[in-house]
Amino acid sequence: MFDVALSPAGAQIALATSSDEKHPPENIIDGNAETFWSTTGMFPQEVVIKFQTLMRITNVHISSYNVKKLKLEASETEDSNKYDTIAETELEETDSQLQQEEIQLGEKRAHSLRIVIESGFDHFVSLHKVVVSGQAMHH
Amino acid sequence: MPTILRCKCIIVGDATVGKSSITQVFHSDGSHFPKNYVMTQGVEVLVKLVNIPETSDSVEMYIYDTAGKEIFSDFVKRLWDHPSVIMVVYDCTSETSFSSCVKWLERVRAQSPNTQIPGALIANKVDLEQRRIISPKKGQELAQANKLEYFECSAKEMQNVDTPFFYLANEFHKVYEERAELFNSLS
Ligand SMILES: Nc1nc2c(ncn2[C@@H]2O[C@H](COP(=O)(O)OP(=O)(O)O)[C@@H](O)[C@H]2O)c(=O)[nH]1
Ligand SMILES: [Mg+2]
Repeated sequence: MFDVALSPAGAQIALATSSDEKHPPENIIDGNAETFWSTTGMFPQEVVIKFQTLMRITNVHISSYNVKKLKLEASETEDSNKYDTIAETELEETDSQLQQEEIQLGEKRAHSLRIVIESGFDHFVSLHKVVVSGQAMHH
Repeated sequence: MPTILRCKCIIVGDATVGKSSITQVFHSDGSHFPKNYVMTQGVEVLVKLVNIPETSDSVEMYIYDTAGKEIFSDFVKRLWDHPSVIMVVYDCTSETSFSSCVKWLERVRAQSPNTQIPGALIANKVDLEQRRIISPKKGQELAQANKLEYFECSAKEMQNVDTPFFYLANEFHKVYEERAELFNSLS
């Protein structure tokens, strides 16, 4: 198993609903928890990570701040709008430290992963790092 | 690319205090970003872009103007989810509208009880000088007691209508800057 949501591993940000160029969404797949993507107001917010190829993924670890309700959706094809919800979770509020949320998926197939932040504990939330454990599917 | 913040501005107050007039005047005046959604069930959302001085940033204000009786519906409650800023309006010729302000404020703040929400208190219809019964001092005191910034305006004369919106956009931008710094200090 590898972290397939790393830019050196070919992962890309396909879409994000907020953009402050000082804190771009690419910061969540750079492997560094010090850099972050910041939302810029209102909910819901979403970011889509596109993997290099179709992956079999087993769990997702998210380092974040002020996120309340979160939903994970997966799409199996390269550029489809068809997403299936694979996990939904409500996070605990933390005080001056990152939230560390581990989400077990069993085994899911995904070419891209959509992270939907449905609500937050404050006006703005940050995503610092998303680790997706998985490996390429062999056809 | 400049940063564009998105700000949900809930405008409340008794019927006929001038909420829709204020919203329309602000929205129509020299807008470079005319978007306009008319929604069902008496809620109108108007969008206007406000530039933040001395930065390249701007705030896209989504102004939620709700008409009278629908205000208690679950639909409106859901629309008021996650308010970014609040504008409470009263008519300076109406004692009743003035005494309703706290109730309106609490109703919106109850949506996010643990979040600090910048707010403005607006005394509207100040053009009706002869009929004015709520003094500026009373308005200021109410604002201060409820952590709001006090403004006076006349939507009819198009006087000072933009100022409270600019104030709220700037406050929201300040909150963003503070949070970005906080996020930076984590991990
Ligand atoms: N004299 C005066 N009348 C106003 C002012 N603003 C609004 N009105 C009038 O007050 C009435 C109610 O205004 P409206 O914007 O519909 O109030 P809302 O119910 O709070 O949305 C209308 O007849 C407006 O023309 C103002 O600043 N001065
Ligand atoms: Mg109205």
